[in-house]
Amino acid sequence: MLDLLGYAAFFGTTALTYAIMCLGLNVQWGQTGLFNVGIAGFAAIGAYTSAILTTPPTQAHLGGFALPIVAGLIGAAAAAGLASLLVGALTLRLRSDYLAITTFGVAVVVQLTCLNVQGVTGGPFGIGFIPRPFGGFADRPGAFAALQFLGMVVLTVALFLALERLAQSPWGRVLRAIREDETAAAALGKNATAYRLQAFALGGAVIGLGGALQAHAIGFIAPDNYLPALTFQIWTMLIIGGSGNNAGAIIGAVLIWGLWSGSGAALTAIFPPELQARAASLQVVAIGIILCAILVLRPRGLFGERTAVSRHVDGLETNPSTALAEQDSAPRAL
Amino acid sequence: MSLQFLVDGTVAGATIGLGAIGVTLTYSILRFANFAHGEFIAWGAYATLAASAAMGLLVGHATPPLGPFSFTWLTLCAAVIAMGFTGGLALGLDWLLFRRLRDKGESIIAIMASFGASMALRSLLEALFTAQPTYFTRALQIARPLGFGLRATPNQMVLVVLAGLLMIGVHLFMTRTATGRGMRAVSENPTLARVAGIDVTRVIRITWMIGGALACASGVVVGLLVQVRPFMGFDLLLPLFAAAILGGIGSVPGAVVGGFTVGLAEAAAVAFVGAQWRGAVAFAVLIAVLLVKPAGLFGRRA
Amino acid sequence: MSLPAPATALLVAEAVTAGYDPDLPIVRGASLRVAPGEILAVLGPNGAGKSTFIKALAGIVPIGSGHVLLGDHDITHVAPHLRPRMGLAFVPQTENVFGTLSVTDNLKIAGDALADRTVAASRMAEMFDAFPDLAHARALQAGRLSGGQRQMLAVARALIGRPRVLMLDEPSAGLSPKLVSEVFRRLDRIRESGVAIVLVEQNVRAALALADRALVLVEGLNRHEGLARSMADDPVVAELYLGIHRRAAEALV
Repeated sequence: MLDLLGYAAFFGTTALTYAIMCLGLNVQWGQTGLFNVGIAGFAAIGAYTSAILTTPPTQAHLGGFALPIVAGLIGAAAAAGLASLLVGALTLRLRSDYLAITTFGVAVVVQLTCLNVQGVTGGPFGIGFIPRPFGGFADRPGAFAALQFLGMVVLTVALFLALERLAQSPWGRVLRAIREDETAAAALGKNATAYRLQAFALGGAVIGLGGALQAHAIGFIAPDNYLPALTFQIWTMLIIGGSGNNAGAIIGAVLIWGLWSGSGAALTAIFPPELQARAASLQVVAIGIILCAILVLRPRGLFGERTAVSRHVDGLETNPSTALAEQDSAPRAL
Repeated sequence: MSLQFLVDGTVAGATIGLGAIGVTLTYSILRFANFAHGEFIAWGAYATLAASAAMGLLVGHATPPLGPFSFTWLTLCAAVIAMGFTGGLALGLDWLLFRRLRDKGESIIAIMASFGASMALRSLLEALFTAQPTYFTRALQIARPLGFGLRATPNQMVLVVLAGLLMIGVHLFMTRTATGRGMRAVSENPTLARVAGIDVTRVIRITWMIGGALACASGVVVGLLVQVRPFMGFDLLLPLFAAAILGGIGSVPGAVVGGFTVGLAEAAAVAFVGAQWRGAVAFAVLIAVLLVKPAGLFGRRA
Repeated sequence: MSLPAPATALLVAEAVTAGYDPDLPIVRGASLRVAPGEILAVLGPNGAGKSTFIKALAGIVPIGSGHVLLGDHDITHVAPHLRPRMGLAFVPQTENVFGTLSVTDNLKIAGDALADRTVAASRMAEMFDAFPDLAHARALQAGRLSGGQRQMLAVARALIGRPRVLMLDEPSAGLSPKLVSEVFRRLDRIRESGVAIVLVEQNVRAALALADRALVLVEGLNRHEGLARSMADDPVVAELYLGIHRRAAEALV
């Protein structure tokens, strides 16, 4: 019984680390309409930064600097935020798809770096002995897991409240205006690119924080944790939860992580070992199909966005029919 | 300093160029970056394997390799069949998925859907054929001297030539035929194209067919020269995008030049920096283009 | 509000509603008729829906209700790319040529829509005869042409299919007065060959000088219709039309 509760607490902790990455993505995509295909890369930056800052000194990788976990988390958010700032500064003034392609490339390069720069990242062996919060309770597994879970709950709720407040603030309203209608935002005299950049950096920092929290929850990281599959998972969580909706982002993360680990466990139980790899692939196929189906059938997700939303700006730019909107005097695109 | 990397880079450039033509055409005509394009490469390679195995059964006896090459005429026939199949696969994916999102005018959602479709298609290959690599042939080929200290295998030489012919063919198609003109017109201005009497739906269908078929050809080249595995296309995706953007979105010659540039840069990095950094080269090229000339070499706007 | 409807209307639009959002139509029940060899000017203040109306007739803005007849055919829901073949050509206001394609390719694209290759080739030769400026620039990218040359190329492209009805969206926009009169002289000659012309214009004086009849749209509906000559001097129309403009001008200041 205690085992089961402990497992449930561990499941909850992991699910909430995904929820935090999801909240970060929601700032970028849901609130600003920026398309990040390199979530795994930004999560890896956060995870490795925090791991290097907080692990005890070792020969296996850079550091460790044995700093408190809080310092590691702050460093993680700062590093991932800075990386996002750089990527955004380069691509946000270009076509929207270039951001997608560039972030995809960032994830590839970050993963390669984790794998190849052994002196800093530990190479293929990754980084172990990452301190876990409430380490003083490590000899009482039940309490340890429960405390970790409670800590994550408190953190997630705090982040949720902060992001909700931000979304309702003038800053959040400008972001929404920019996403809804680029010309209106420009007419307001707001520098749309600067706002987008801020949102992209903030979202990236939150994703990095999520990556770091996951590293501290599990205690061990390796380059294989940060393959494109992670990006795909986070996207699916947000899309199913409903982009633009912070509560939906959290629910989507818990739901999809439950579905993912639940079906994974079921496959292990049902299929003989020699078929399990294939069955696991079919699991990814199913999630991919679900993602596509949601995008086609219910693009606002299961829980949707509370405020009414029209089309995204990027859609307008490329939609041949709306590019012809009536303006009798101004020059227009046809 | 060995110049052998020029040969390796040319071979890699041919595969990247073939794939990048499809990326640049779908990007400019359908107006979204298709993250599932790499899967057409992998599916094309597996389809060729399957078709040549099936034809092998029909023929009933082993066919001898063609001349100095390690493949048979069956492989070539299978590749042609598989090119049609992969074009159909691209068309089917459009019908199932992208068409519905296009109707709603949501191009950014289409990118996301292509990412989901890419995961699903690749994992389906893993489920069907496992993640283990497989080979068209295990025959070893002796590299022959080309002069200047360069060496290439007969397979490498003939496949680069075939890839080059395909590229020239597509270029002539785009510049000399009514359909090609229509494709260029839709890529510039779909609404004006409709007003001018072009059937945009048909142009979109042909674009998918060409993109899928060329991706399959690229997959066959990789498969014959390296190996076939489910991730083979996904690993090429970043080089494809880098090549298409370097050449300028919408430009077929640009995609080819971009493909050879990225291929040569990758081979140079493998020779002089280390094979483990090969995957970062395309990213470096991409960033350089975005910093210096985001519209690309032959592009019209960024 | 007299309706001097031509007896043999070639293009007829009746009670058309159209717009990008079906719940907010911009054109809210507009009608028009135009006969062979006749020029109809569609006028109206900014945002009246003139441009949307003509695009709806070209098939590139969805029509909610009402119907459009070309000769005996109901073309309300015919795909836009089939309309040139049926004899209905449209010249959009801006970006009305393919800037990255050569002048020749721009014309060939219109020719590609014709069934017969040799006919397409001879029509293109005709166009080069009629527009010597284009003949000299045939290998040039259309994006490098001057504003006036582009307008000519756009018109030539539309004429390749030998349309029965030619619709133009503000052909005078962005052109110097000299070029405007050149373009309008061309339109007059095209009309003389029996083509029906629908012209959306902001340049009211020039349009009324050229047109046979005029139609004033306000808020997506027919407000006034009549002979162009009488309309030019009609104080009611001038007040209605220019008054709205004056108010709009004041609002901008």
